[in-house]
Amino acid sequence: MGKIKVATQWLEACAGCHMSFLDIDERIVELFRRIEMTSSPITDLKHPPEEGVEVGILTGGIGNEDEKHEALEMRERAKVLIAMGDCAVTGGICTMRNFFPTEEVLRRGYIETESTVDGEIPVHEDLAPLTDKVSGVDEVVPVDIYLPGCPPTADAIWYVLTELLEGRMPKLEGKVLKYGMDGG
Amino acid sequence: MSEIHLTINGQEVVAQSGQTVLEAAKAAGIDIPVLCHHPALSNWGACRMCVVEVEGMRTVQTACTLPAAEGMKISTHTPKTTSLRKFVLELLFSERNHYCMYCQMSGNCELQDQAYAHGLDHWTYPRPFEKLNVDASRKYFIMDHNRCILCSRCIRACAEVAANHTLDLRNRGAKTMVIADLDVPFGESSCVECGTCLQVCPTGALVDARSAYGGREKDVTHTPTTCMQCSIGCELDVVTRYSRLLRVDGVWGSEPNDGLLCVDGRFKPLYEERKRVTRPLLRKDGELVEVSWGEALAAVADKLKGGSCQGLAACATTNEALAGFAHLMNRVGGKGGRLEPQAPPLGYGVPGRVTDVLSADFIIVAGAQPLEYQRVIGYFIHRAADKGIPVAVITDTENALSERASMTVAAAQAGVVAQAAAAAEKVVLVYSIGIKPEVIAALKPLGDKVHFLALDPARNGKGAEAAGLQPLTPVKADVAYVLLGEQAPEETLQLKAGFKVVQAAYVSPLTEQADVVLPTPVWSERQGHVTTLDGAVKPLQVVLPAPAGVRDETEVFEQLLGLLG
Repeated sequence: MGKIKVATQWLEACAGCHMSFLDIDERIVELFRRIEMTSSPITDLKHPPEEGVEVGILTGGIGNEDEKHEALEMRERAKVLIAMGDCAVTGGICTMRNFFPTEEVLRRGYIETESTVDGEIPVHEDLAPLTDKVSGVDEVVPVDIYLPGCPPTADAIWYVLTELLEGRMPKLEGKVLKYGMDGG
Repeated sequence: MSEIHLTINGQEVVAQSGQTVLEAAKAAGIDIPVLCHHPALSNWGACRMCVVEVEGMRTVQTACTLPAAEGMKISTHTPKTTSLRKFVLELLFSERNHYCMYCQMSGNCELQDQAYAHGLDHWTYPRPFEKLNVDASRKYFIMDHNRCILCSRCIRACAEVAANHTLDLRNRGAKTMVIADLDVPFGESSCVECGTCLQVCPTGALVDARSAYGGREKDVTHTPTTCMQCSIGCELDVVTRYSRLLRVDGVWGSEPNDGLLCVDGRFKPLYEERKRVTRPLLRKDGELVEVSWGEALAAVADKLKGGSCQGLAACATTNEALAGFAHLMNRVGGKGGRLEPQAPPLGYGVPGRVTDVLSADFIIVAGAQPLEYQRVIGYFIHRAADKGIPVAVITDTENALSERASMTVAAAQAGVVAQAAAAAEKVVLVYSIGIKPEVIAALKPLGDKVHFLALDPARNGKGAEAAGLQPLTPVKADVAYVLLGEQAPEETLQLKAGFKVVQAAYVSPLTEQADVVLPTPVWSERQGHVTTLDGAVKPLQVVLPAPAGVRDETEVFEQLLGLLG
């Protein structure tokens, strides 16, 4: 049997979820015997292959047009889509800007910050415009599995992946269901 | 009270008439999830977490408000109730800010617990992102409306436990908000900062400024002890982590306060800013200098041997220390007494308990200001007034209780109160040092119907009384020995002795004029007992160790007796 293909991508995220993924420690050896990591932000290839993957993992909320595009691409190419971490599930801490109009957020960040001198709001064709509001992944594309946590524990990530490898849909409850930091 | 037989989840359950289905289930060991329900508060039925199916009823019912009835057949956990509870949780989570990752209550939150219990891994509804206020206008705790689920526990606690009626709801539906008074900042409202609302809040909406982020429930230590801030003796649950005082909670079901505390007991002691005395000090060449305990005690013993002595105790210490103090004074042939005045005896009536205020059918307050000095009794009186119990205040000055009393009369008119109370069966007379002899005389016809509570202005006045210490004023003597503990001395207090020993926890004008200063523990470092104003002897437990160099008074008295030979 060929290896199960898994792709990950981070959107509006702090990278903590990927750190927690790496925290599965030596279990990563066992995992990589059974999966092929086709792409991720921490490998050379960043985008899931066009021929698709079995499992796509998105971390982070969606706060700009590029993140929206990445989410759509992952959805198109993944059979099972996991929203991993509180930001992917709910928009998380990034949603703090939702209380303010986008222009006000940019002005505050690039011009009015106390430490800024002669600031300007950057405009460039490579810079993705902000969406009006930051949202969780499921407001843009349908999600199959929600794995909350800030970050989810390595054990929770391990549980979800191994359940999928066994052909079962993971059920988040008990120790693997936590919001925020490990232990509540 | 009669028995009711019902079936819950197929189990035969015997309930008492008047019980709700929730209470009957709980008594039978059947758990029904709740959020707005709190055992110390009235039932509200606001959150719908406790919905159950009842055979023969068209819709689900809230178990917390449904009276148990004969023959009822209840199912508490069906696919329908479980899905409704999940639905309720999804609505609650999506309405405001219920992101746990930066909430100080995460790990300690009833909303989070319920979400975990119901396997809520996400919620379906988009969040409206209404910009709600965070009200930090009070010193000790903060109201973050973004975390509020409108369960109204705080409102009921304010109205029913503290009887203060500061909190209420504004508007309806999604616009509903908890407000203080007519929607003023909490710090400008009629709030008395008793903190009962903080204690019952199931989420992170009410935030204790000091203990926030200081430790989750699994990290902290709870130590029960007795409040020493006034003479009531409320039971405290002191929460610490490592050597840090985090928070003080009231203890539900405890005598007499049943969870209720006041600002003086719950918050103020945690914000103590006076400078501690942590080493014995001895005056040498006009200056107070740090010395060893041996040298300090030798100096004291030397003076006690040589001359006349007056001992004055502020009753802010343990029964054991006060008894030890009295014993030491006797031993050196000195006159020992207490600094604070004492309420006079009535000569009639029976000694009451603090909780009698809640079962009285007439309450008289004379020469006392419990809302200022024994606040929990003041709140109890408000609770009685809420139930329609007549409250008569006899005073020649302003008294905060007058506002909600049924009558306020001058001392000269005390006879009117005696007449009004004549038909009552259980009269509780709350009085203190301000009571005038003519008032005592005027109320005498009430006789043994009177259950009296003499509010001692000293924290452990009853302990001093038991030790035989009567009020004294400073007189000329060779040695003045003042046992101050953590009490702040009256500014007018001037010692007239040639040699002054002050045993105190904090630096004060009195320690500045002393010849020897001996450091004492404070309330959280004490082991021993206090006697409450209604005569109960209650234990004190060491919450945190005293700073090195501080010795308990009882130990010091024993050592002095040893040195005296």
